[in-house]
Amino acid sequence: MNPFPDAKVYLVDDDVGVREALSWLLRTRRLLSDSYGSAEAFLADEVVWNKEPEAPCCLLLDVRMPGMSGLALFERLKTLPWQAAMPVIFLSGHADVPTAVDAVKRGAFDFCEKPFSDNALVDRIEQALTQSAQVIHQRRVQREWRQRMDSLTDRERDVMDLVVAGLPNKLVADQLGISVRTVEVHRSRVFDKMGVKSAVELANALRAAP
Amino acid sequence: MKSGRWLLWGALLLLTAALLSVLVFLAAEYELSRDQAQLEEDVATVAGDIRSALLRNVQTLQSLHSVAPSPNAWNAPASELLQTHREMMRLEWRDAALQPLSVRVSPFTPGVFDFLDREQAQPEVVQACEAARRASGPAYSASYFWPMRDGKGLELIEMCLPVAFAGKPQGMLVVTYALSGILTELINRDLMRGRGLSFNEADGTRLAIFSAIPANRRNLRAQTVLDLPGHTLILQLESPRRARGLFPNVLTAVVGLLSLALLVVLFLLGRDIRRRQRAEQDLANALAFRKAMEDSLVTGLRARDMSGRITYVNPAFCQMVGRRADELIGSGPPAPWWPPELADEYQQRQEVRLAGRYFPREGFESVFQRPDGTRFPVLIIEAPLIDAQGEQTGYMSAILDLTEQRRIEDLNRATFERLQATARLATVGEMASLISHELNQPLAAIASYASGMLNVLRDPGVGSLSPEDQRQAIERIAEQAERAGRVIKSVADFVRRRDTEREAVPPASLIDSIYPLVALQAKKQGVRLQIDIDPNCPPVLCDRTMIEQVLLNLTRNGIQAMPMGDPPAGSGLRVLGIRVARASPEPALSPGRAGPAWVSFAVTDHGQGLSPEVAQRLFTPYFTTKADGMGLGLSLCRTVVEQHGGALTHQPAEPRGTTFRFSLPVTPI
Repeated sequence: MNPFPDAKVYLVDDDVGVREALSWLLRTRRLLSDSYGSAEAFLADEVVWNKEPEAPCCLLLDVRMPGMSGLALFERLKTLPWQAAMPVIFLSGHADVPTAVDAVKRGAFDFCEKPFSDNALVDRIEQALTQSAQVIHQRRVQREWRQRMDSLTDRERDVMDLVVAGLPNKLVADQLGISVRTVEVHRSRVFDKMGVKSAVELANALRAAP
Repeated sequence: MKSGRWLLWGALLLLTAALLSVLVFLAAEYELSRDQAQLEEDVATVAGDIRSALLRNVQTLQSLHSVAPSPNAWNAPASELLQTHREMMRLEWRDAALQPLSVRVSPFTPGVFDFLDREQAQPEVVQACEAARRASGPAYSASYFWPMRDGKGLELIEMCLPVAFAGKPQGMLVVTYALSGILTELINRDLMRGRGLSFNEADGTRLAIFSAIPANRRNLRAQTVLDLPGHTLILQLESPRRARGLFPNVLTAVVGLLSLALLVVLFLLGRDIRRRQRAEQDLANALAFRKAMEDSLVTGLRARDMSGRITYVNPAFCQMVGRRADELIGSGPPAPWWPPELADEYQQRQEVRLAGRYFPREGFESVFQRPDGTRFPVLIIEAPLIDAQGEQTGYMSAILDLTEQRRIEDLNRATFERLQATARLATVGEMASLISHELNQPLAAIASYASGMLNVLRDPGVGSLSPEDQRQAIERIAEQAERAGRVIKSVADFVRRRDTEREAVPPASLIDSIYPLVALQAKKQGVRLQIDIDPNCPPVLCDRTMIEQVLLNLTRNGIQAMPMGDPPAGSGLRVLGIRVARASPEPALSPGRAGPAWVSFAVTDHGQGLSPEVAQRLFTPYFTTKADGMGLGLSLCRTVVEQHGGALTHQPAEPRGTTFRFSLPVTPI
């Protein structure tokens, strides 16, 4: 039933009643959550935010808090390259609505006005977690792809570019001034390293990669 | 004016000069007449002297004859007599026939009788002796000129004296006198100094001169008749006029001096009068200056004597208390401007103040009353009134009318209060926002627990939620509800604090105080204000600034409900009506207060009116139809009105638009 068994929801709200209630609500939807009483407390827990998350996660952030505001925390997190892996949903009171709208325009996942329709909020949380999972997955694929690319030698990369352009081995050998046999060796090594079986597959993978 | 004065001065000088000259002239005349009188007297004295001397001579001659009865015996004493009497030229004893018996001639003038024979004088001797015989006493002949040898001559006169011895006539004794000798010998010479004495004929011919002075017409002359038996001689005394100065005598000098002194005194007096006139002019100028100053003052001035009676007031004071100066002057305590019920207090206060002789520099405040009963606050600054002798004669007071100052102070206070009210409203707005946040927290928590519980009910096997967890969740709901209750209570407390600031306010003054603002907004929107206040409205009990805010809110809403062109300008509907009237009690709204009267305030616009949807949500906080509205105005208005015990209602207006109406309780008496 729970699509995100290892997902984590981080709650940052100065009001303990709200934190506990939300945490309890999430439990009834089989979601795990960690609570923080303030933006500063969250920032102190660097393990959570200062490394790329591996499991889907999202951040519920109260706009108005004593000390560092939710908005300021959001600005701080936006500097992280993997920020999209931890979507932020703002919780706002009536008067903070314009602020929250502004935050969404600047990259927050959504905002939710208090008092919220709770299951709708949980639904948005799940959507955020889905996005988080996608981002995490994409980032992992990209990272692997970059590793494969990095493992290619210069000669192999030259061969790969020409193969992907659709040239037959003979023409590749002519163009690079090497023997057809050598081209074949390189080509098989490239296929090996990039984890593909054909030139078509390689071309598709390259097109898909950023 | 000035030339006339100089003319007067000239006349005065001329008159004084004339007086002086007349005085000098009169004095000279007086002296002249006195000299003349002296001269007359002297000549009379001289004549007397001569007469008595001649009489003595007669006696001497008679005695001579009685001593020497014979001519021979007579000779010696006769000669002796001639030696002592130089005036006698010749002494003869003649018989009855006038023949000389014995003759003696004066030894001092020998040769007188040499040139002519004595017989030439016989007629005169005869004449004298005839007269003597007739008179049986001495008698004189007329004088006659007796020439001498060298062309000279003497004027002589004969005196004949009959002599007897032992009762028998012895003949005649004839004495020849020289007139010049008489003059020389028989008079007191002291009188003659500087004078001329002579025997004259009646026609003025001089017969004998004792002393001569130069002939001058201006000489003084005095004549007297020397009548001798048988002949009369004229004796003339002549005296030159004495030379005199301008002030011939002390009298004139004194009078002159006195006149001069008089002139000087007159001059000084004139100068004094001029100085006095100038001083009077200066005084008049100073008075006019002071009067103008006093009249131009807006500060009232009042002087009182020691018993508190008014001795002086200036126009500003009269205007201030609304009475004429002549009504005020002389009036004593209680002063006519004292409010009657405060008169005793003022009287005491004044006595204490005056007894203590303490006059605070900053003055003291009081209240005066005009004849029409209106009162006004004043500031009185009092000081003792000291006259030129240093005696205190009373008190001087300056009175400032504080009405205007008070009005400005009131205005400032009202403005300040309005500002404060606006600030309070802003605070209320902020409060509302804060409260909404405060309430949102527990409500959010409650909602979360409720949803969670629903989830649990829908999916009993979820997670690791034990019944204990569920019980806890419900406890939390209760906790959070309680928390929300506390928030509401704190708001109620805040609002309740305002209850103490209620006061009695005439409805018209409420409208007056918002009128300028409303008029400004109305003018901007081309809306006409129609204000209708029932004059019989009693004061209402309210928090003035809050009710003003309500009125401002309603009127602003009303004006904003009529934007330009809707209703159109010519329709006569661009009118905002404000109506204040007594209202019957609204039992539905105040069931417990059937008695007290109410005043209803109605604000009517002729805008589009309220749609049913809008009307339904009208008083919901944060509900607004305006782009920039907060949605708090009407809900706050309702809260305020309800706090006052009234109600805020609305109904459609005729022919279009909406009327908002609320009522306030009348101040209980």
